[in-house]
Amino acid sequence: MAGTTAGPAPRPAESYELAEARGYGLTAGDLRRWDPLSAIQIHWARKHGLSPDDARRWAREGVGVRDAVRAVRLRITPEQVRPWAAAGFVPGDAVEAAEAGMTLAEATAWLRAGFILPDAALLVGDGWTLAEATAARYAGVNRYA
Amino acid sequence: MLSSQRNKLLCETGPGTSMGELLRRYWQPIAGVSEFEQQDAKAVRIMGEDLVLYRDREGNYGLVDRHCPHRRADLAYGFTEDRGLRCNYHGWLWDHTGACLHQPFEETRHPEGTFRDKVRIKAYPVVAKAGLLWAYLGPQPAPLLPDWDRFYSRGYKQVVISEIPCNWFQCQENSIDPVHFEWLHSNWSMVLRGQDGPRAPTHTRLGFDEFDYGFVYRRIREDTTENDELWTTGRVCLWPNCLYVGHFEWRVPIDDTSTLSVGWFIDELPGDAPYEQEQIPTWHAPVRDEKTGRWIDTHVMNQDYIAWVGQGEIADRTLEHLGESDRGVIMLRKRMFDEMDAVTAGRDPLGTIRDPARNDRVYLPIVGGLNRPARGDGPQPFVFLAGQPDEVRTEHEQAWQQCAAASAAG
Repeated sequence: MAGTTAGPAPRPAESYELAEARGYGLTAGDLRRWDPLSAIQIHWARKHGLSPDDARRWAREGVGVRDAVRAVRLRITPEQVRPWAAAGFVPGDAVEAAEAGMTLAEATAWLRAGFILPDAALLVGDGWTLAEATAARYAGVNRYA
Repeated sequence: MLSSQRNKLLCETGPGTSMGELLRRYWQPIAGVSEFEQQDAKAVRIMGEDLVLYRDREGNYGLVDRHCPHRRADLAYGFTEDRGLRCNYHGWLWDHTGACLHQPFEETRHPEGTFRDKVRIKAYPVVAKAGLLWAYLGPQPAPLLPDWDRFYSRGYKQVVISEIPCNWFQCQENSIDPVHFEWLHSNWSMVLRGQDGPRAPTHTRLGFDEFDYGFVYRRIREDTTENDELWTTGRVCLWPNCLYVGHFEWRVPIDDTSTLSVGWFIDELPGDAPYEQEQIPTWHAPVRDEKTGRWIDTHVMNQDYIAWVGQGEIADRTLEHLGESDRGVIMLRKRMFDEMDAVTAGRDPLGTIRDPARNDRVYLPIVGGLNRPARGDGPQPFVFLAGQPDEVRTEHEQAWQQCAAASAAG
């Protein structure tokens, strides 16, 4: 189709939801079975072997499918996320922290210093300490401090 | 915040760099097909490599080293023949596979000689699709060029290219930064129009999902709910260097301090009578106002460009203070590091397609669906980039009128 629009005729109009589901290889039945997950979440859950019940269980804890898949891989349970949410983190941050090997106390210290968890986790993964990161953050702001 | 070493990893795309190796695993759009109606060859610079893109008289597209391997003359001034591109200095002829087909004086002096079989030029494969020319600069076997479903939607299409004087990665980070829309495009546009408010609806929640070809970002604003398609479907940060929101915006590194923005746009047309566009036009969008010397700020992507170049030629991420609105950006960086590692380990990175059965009108999430109805109030002005040529605007209007008439008659 170089340079032209020649190609198969457009498909007939249908509901966005069904069209999107079909785009991910899903049926209307799949949408019902996985309710209330969206098509993209169902697709990702199925691809990584997360069951509808497990996906819903994680969702009740505020953890989306993307983070739930990573959580299962890291052998984290939904219950382990609750202290993180109670401490003011986004529930999925528990997964991010686990990947970086951060404890809740460490993550809280980083958060109090103004580093949201994914940022802190990336820095910790690169070998930064909180003191180093804090110093670097202000290095260009006040050279005389 | 990143260390300067990590920042370099994300930004440097020359041959042999980690990011360069990652991006070379994907087909990159580098020009419009229609550009070769007016010329046979043009100089291009992609990921720090100086090359010449040409079409020979047999219709083969070639992408070869800018400099002739003979005495390094500039092949952008070469001339095409039935097969290949001939150097204007001593007439050596090169085909799109990198083979030397003719060395006039050498073959006069040594008719039985085989010197031409002993020289080659660097050459990369080029494929034409959807009005774009795509190049693959990586190791063979190349993955398949994605056959995105959107390419087949009915509508008036155009390709718009601009050169942005900053690093590609700060452009791509914008592809997963939902909140910027509220400020850079909505609120700032109101200020530019001299309006004092009310301000645009505030973002209240962001969500991110992953799929086979990148990330989807989702948003809820104070005027929308979880039932809005901006939340249920979302927008696509298309891996590795594109934004897809019904149109495509690729950010192809020219080198480490400049980026080729390649936009593929489609405007729905009224009715459902067959419409076939003879050729998808390509035009080059200016980024700077020649009268004032300032960046153009009137159109959506021009506003993006102002933000990107404002971050510096290469954004210094050692000085950042990232917040909640940057979760997508951090996710993108992390995945980039992971995929660079995957390439180093010899694996195919995210989103590469090798199975032809999977590469048939590949679906990407799109708010409003693939075959959206055209608006009822006529062809809309092109809002994405300043400088649309009159002939393109006129052609769009004519396509609209043709389809509206067919719809009324049918």
